[in-house]
Amino acid sequence: MALVQLPGMVGRELGSSEGLRVVELNIGAQHPASGHMRLIVYLDGDVIVRVDPDIGYVHRTVEKLAEGREYVRIISLVERMTIIDACNVTLPYVEAVERLLGVEPPPRARYLRTILCEVNRIASHLYGLGIGGIFLNHSTMYMWAFGDREVFIHLASLLTGSRLTHTYPVFGGVRRDLPQVFREEFEKAKRYMLRRLREYDKVFFNNPVIRGRLEGVGVMTAKQAVALGATGPNLRASGVRYDARMTGYAAYGELDFEPVVGSEGDALERVWVRLREIEASLELIDRALRGLPEGPFMAEKFTKTVPPAVRHWLGKGRLKLPGSYVRLKTRPGEVLGRGEMGRGEITYYLVSDGGMKPYRLRIVTPSARNVVLFDALARGHTLMDLPAIYGSIDYFPPEADR
Amino acid sequence: MDPLAWLASALGLPRWALRAVAAPLVYPGLLTFMAVALFVIWAERKMAARVQMRVGPLYVSRRLGGALQLLADGIRFAFQEIIVPVGAEKWSFILSPILAFTVASLAFTMVPGGPGVYGFRSSLSLIAAYAILSLVPILVIIMGWASNNKFTYIGAGREALVAVTGEATLLASMLAAAMMYGSMDFVSIVEEQARSHVPGIVANPVAALLFFIAALLVTDRVPFDLVMGEQEIVQGPYTEYTGILYALVMALDYLKLYVLMLMFTHLFLAGWAPFSDPLLGSVWVFAKTLALMLFAVFLRSVYGRMRLDQVASMFWSRLFPLALTAFALSALIHPVYAQP
Repeated sequence: MALVQLPGMVGRELGSSEGLRVVELNIGAQHPASGHMRLIVYLDGDVIVRVDPDIGYVHRTVEKLAEGREYVRIISLVERMTIIDACNVTLPYVEAVERLLGVEPPPRARYLRTILCEVNRIASHLYGLGIGGIFLNHSTMYMWAFGDREVFIHLASLLTGSRLTHTYPVFGGVRRDLPQVFREEFEKAKRYMLRRLREYDKVFFNNPVIRGRLEGVGVMTAKQAVALGATGPNLRASGVRYDARMTGYAAYGELDFEPVVGSEGDALERVWVRLREIEASLELIDRALRGLPEGPFMAEKFTKTVPPAVRHWLGKGRLKLPGSYVRLKTRPGEVLGRGEMGRGEITYYLVSDGGMKPYRLRIVTPSARNVVLFDALARGHTLMDLPAIYGSIDYFPPEADR
Repeated sequence: MDPLAWLASALGLPRWALRAVAAPLVYPGLLTFMAVALFVIWAERKMAARVQMRVGPLYVSRRLGGALQLLADGIRFAFQEIIVPVGAEKWSFILSPILAFTVASLAFTMVPGGPGVYGFRSSLSLIAAYAILSLVPILVIIMGWASNNKFTYIGAGREALVAVTGEATLLASMLAAAMMYGSMDFVSIVEEQARSHVPGIVANPVAALLFFIAALLVTDRVPFDLVMGEQEIVQGPYTEYTGILYALVMALDYLKLYVLMLMFTHLFLAGWAPFSDPLLGSVWVFAKTLALMLFAVFLRSVYGRMRLDQVASMFWSRLFPLALTAFALSALIHPVYAQP
């Protein structure tokens, strides 16, 4: 590849200046395949010499808003960052606050959280695969993935009562117990999804056109992936065996969790890791359902505060918490929450001064870490490879912008 | 009585003049094309919808399964404001899609629609039809240039590459067919096939396949839809178009597909044979053309888009040599069709 040296700040004039071979192309913010962001691409002929991701179009000041809210209200705030992955995005926060509160969730609650997290992960991966499909103009993969995602949204709505923003894990446990119909519905969903995954392999993954687009594109070595701070399936596709679930939060420590690890580090491998993680998640849910312990789904500390008038709901697997739950005060201190979302590891750094609201809540989302990959992976590839790389790293602007 | 002859005598025009007007405007020309586009685009969306677990167009004319959706879209385009970008080369921008559409539909004067249904009969009608069609990319490049937009520039560049790449193979496979029949006249090509009872696709399947694949490339069908390339370059050279001009440029590829599939029917599927009645023969040609078009648009539900360099290397290093082989093969097959 012939690298063109870019002189300092010539950005805006590139197209018209004499003697310069580089064209500046603004992909986005209004572009069919940019998402809520802008990619400023510098092209030498058809070859990309630099990509500047211009982020921040969907910044919603989540961190600042969190400083003005009570702890429990922050749960439904932070899940707005990634509503398609709502349990995974809130769980590390809930666990962090639980540590400050000194509350231990009962085992059943930990298992139920794991189940919803994995259902969300499958839905999130299907979303990513669908977007990855349409980036290569493979409309069938797009429609199939989004259609099949509905199955897992249905499972989530059975468990939590809502399709996307579940606010399911709360301090001390979960909002609702497992409904009886869930096991049966999950069995159906698992059979269906395993069959569909074989069809995905046939139509998308092993499609010669798609293979040609993805194979050897955007290769990231293990060393490079670690140096860039890539996370999630992108990191594992490069052969790094790291997954925040290996720390054993929720019930992962008891389920013999084993991450899916690739080796090649190209776009095809990243798609492959997502496809295999869907299988692994189905297996994990199966294991969690079989090993699901009996007992309460909410910590004793909070169930005894339930007013007598609505106490009968507890027997039906529902929970009506009193207003005092909003006014919880934590002990002062700092705590770090980590968890694996569909797109990678999310980190919460929570500072409490002992009040009802956090002093500071710092959030690092997986997409915010993966944004560096645009420039690192796209250099030296042609313009047509950019959508393939974008689709394969499964970047989600609302999550990155927070 | 022959309706064409009757009309000619009623209008006091010579028959050839009426033919030359009726072929590009009525059948197989624009009026038929309107119906074809309406049906094929609807069928394309319905087929893709069936594969993709959707319903496709439905709400416009519910009883017809949404068949009039495209008509509704067309009416909407007709009333939409045509916006000419400030930096655009105004007249080139406005005239090039109109000219491109007109030029493409002139090909119907050369390609017959059935036995005795043609604009002009010439001993060079095959090469003339091809020559007319190969003018269209030049106008598309003008569109991209006149729009004065980076995406349209890149799209115009892609159109240039696609035209050169695709048409080399297309022409080679077309000449392979001409060599095989020993003629460049569509009518005698079909008659040769009818006489020997061997359709061209059986005699030289390689040329037929290559013609079809190259036709997919020059008409911008998936998996070779590089010019439109939505995920990279928005709508390629057509990005800045609005209103009825947009409808024209969108229909352009379908028009080219229609002409090329009509040519495929004559070259490789024995045209109207075994019918010799103008009406029955025309219906038979039309049905085959439509079936080919439906297959071409169905590929959208199976494939994604191939990368530019892969398409170029596939065509130049594999398909074009293969087309030359098919040309050589035709020399061997020629005795099948040669006059006794």
